[in-house]
Amino acid sequence: MLNYIARRLINMVVLLVVVSFVGFFIIQLPPGSILDVQLQRFRQMSGDISREQVRALEERYGVNDPFMTKYWKWISRSVQGDFGTSFETDQSVGDRIWGRLGFSVSLSTFALLFTWLVSIPIGVYSATHRYTVPDYIITFIQFVGLAIPGFLLALVLLIIATRLFNHQVGRLFSPEFIDAPWSFARVVDMAKHVWIAVLVLAMGATAGLTRIMRANLLDVLNMQYVQTARAKGLDEVVVIWKHAVRNAIQPLVMALGTLLPALIVGETLVAQVLSLPTIGPMYLSALRSQDMYLAGTILVILSALLLIGNLIGDLLLAWVDPRVRLD
Amino acid sequence: MTVHPSAASIASTDDVICVEDLKVSFYTDLGIVRALNGVSFNIPRGKVLGVVGESGCGKSITGLSIMQLVHGAGRTEGGRILFREFADRDPVDILTFGKNSSEMRAIRGNNISMIFQEPMSSLNPCYSVGNQIEEAILLHQTDDKLEAARRAIEILTKVGMPNPDRIAKSYPHELSGGMRQRAMIAMALSCNPTLLIADEPTTALDVTTEANILDLMRGLQSEIGTSIMFITHNMGVVAQMCDEVAVMYLGRVVERATVDDIFYDPKHPYTIALLQSIPRLGRSKGRLASIEGTVPDPYSRVEGCAFHLRCPAKIDGVCDVTVPEEIVVDAAKGHTVRCHLYS
Repeated sequence: MLNYIARRLINMVVLLVVVSFVGFFIIQLPPGSILDVQLQRFRQMSGDISREQVRALEERYGVNDPFMTKYWKWISRSVQGDFGTSFETDQSVGDRIWGRLGFSVSLSTFALLFTWLVSIPIGVYSATHRYTVPDYIITFIQFVGLAIPGFLLALVLLIIATRLFNHQVGRLFSPEFIDAPWSFARVVDMAKHVWIAVLVLAMGATAGLTRIMRANLLDVLNMQYVQTARAKGLDEVVVIWKHAVRNAIQPLVMALGTLLPALIVGETLVAQVLSLPTIGPMYLSALRSQDMYLAGTILVILSALLLIGNLIGDLLLAWVDPRVRLD
Repeated sequence: MTVHPSAASIASTDDVICVEDLKVSFYTDLGIVRALNGVSFNIPRGKVLGVVGESGCGKSITGLSIMQLVHGAGRTEGGRILFREFADRDPVDILTFGKNSSEMRAIRGNNISMIFQEPMSSLNPCYSVGNQIEEAILLHQTDDKLEAARRAIEILTKVGMPNPDRIAKSYPHELSGGMRQRAMIAMALSCNPTLLIADEPTTALDVTTEANILDLMRGLQSEIGTSIMFITHNMGVVAQMCDEVAVMYLGRVVERATVDDIFYDPKHPYTIALLQSIPRLGRSKGRLASIEGTVPDPYSRVEGCAFHLRCPAKIDGVCDVTVPEEIVVDAAKGHTVRCHLYS
């Protein structure tokens, strides 16, 4: 077991090195560099810039270094925890991303919990009450949930919340709490703002997983061992939750690994609409302005999250299903 | 509730189960399937009753009805299933209990247990064999987990498992088909049931394993004294396992007799035809006899005797008009038949 985890972690490191190399290569591939953007800004502010100044800037940012030198500079420092400087703001990349990343991960974790807590019971209900009116209603809501894009739902909820409840929902905090120190009131304020984001993020996945859960459970309920459990004299509730759900839940556990990064990618649009300080919009703007250290770092961290999510998914699966062997 | 003996339950026998005029139908999108059209039979205490017939004749549904495990589109539309746990007790009508009622659950797995055709899929892959056997014991017999574990190992030893401690800890996918069926038998017998319903328990197994399992069941049956309802389509298995036989055709019992009478003095044309179609060693001359025609489509209703379409001894104007009543051929041995030839 520990052996297996160790092996997976080593694989992960190798994979991350490959990802960082390929990613970095692609990010700096388009013509031009962050310097062009910077120079333009300088020109607008102070008119002219001398050749010496340009050369000094080029020197400083290492724009004309060969690719391998750039990559090595970045990766060797990254290993020590210094991800370089963001060209856009001249802040260190680490300072810029940690806060946003933390928020993204917690938002996605909430969305994930919401997805599971809602889709499993509803899927089970839907399967055990197949072809009844509640099942039809659930199915209808699921298809609507799958069909509506997240950003549209975000807009609609935003309008409903502000118009009907006079409730400020965009952003993370009310104005008076933005710079306030952490307190219970601030947490409550955050919860008030964040529920729309969690709902919007979780909606698509919840609708999909409910559907999968329903189909899986219907398959499992036809299995002989469910009949065996009934023949033992177990209550139908125990038959469903102990014997059937445990077998029906496996594909959901398997999907866990890919769900976490999917949620982080999915939040980009929603965060844009709700103006949430998450990693998604920052990643987008970093790519646009060719802020390569920032973009590269975010890429590598998201890949690491994907790999960690996959590992957790595999470990959970082995725990749920004894037929899965880790070796 | 007291018993009113019908023609099927011959007087003064102590029956564990007495099924009377049981009717079960399935309401599907394609139409109504009348799976059981008035099934009557009895299982004497401590005996093995074989229930034989072609696929789709209602053997398994009869077994599931006794367990109240007919699910989905199936509905019980009439009849009684009288269960008498002890000889000196009044019987209870199982059909008066709800499917998931506490009364029914107290009977299931405790007084009446069942083993199924597919040993490969009848154990839950997520729980160890020991855990699944203990579950039944904890449900019906004791609250003590250690005691349940001890009893599970004891019953695994009884069904001839080598190394029962290790088997109890292993998962179903680690066992062979024959081992899994042994584990199922262990689970079914773990609470010392009055009746064991075995629904083609050896059909999915190879011949050697089948012989071992049949030996085991026969041995345990004489040791524990459990009555068995043995559902099969294999006449060879019937000869080996059963004391009495009920032959079913299209949702009715057409003949009921001791195992000797079924083989040496069969009455119903269907039983006779069934016996003629068994291949025998040393008689390889010519083609094997087969029954003309096929079983009618399940959605249609056959007037008169259900077998008249294929019957070589059909009486025109009688067999295709009225359903034959159950006729007692030999009251002493409990031989009955549903055929106009004997009325």
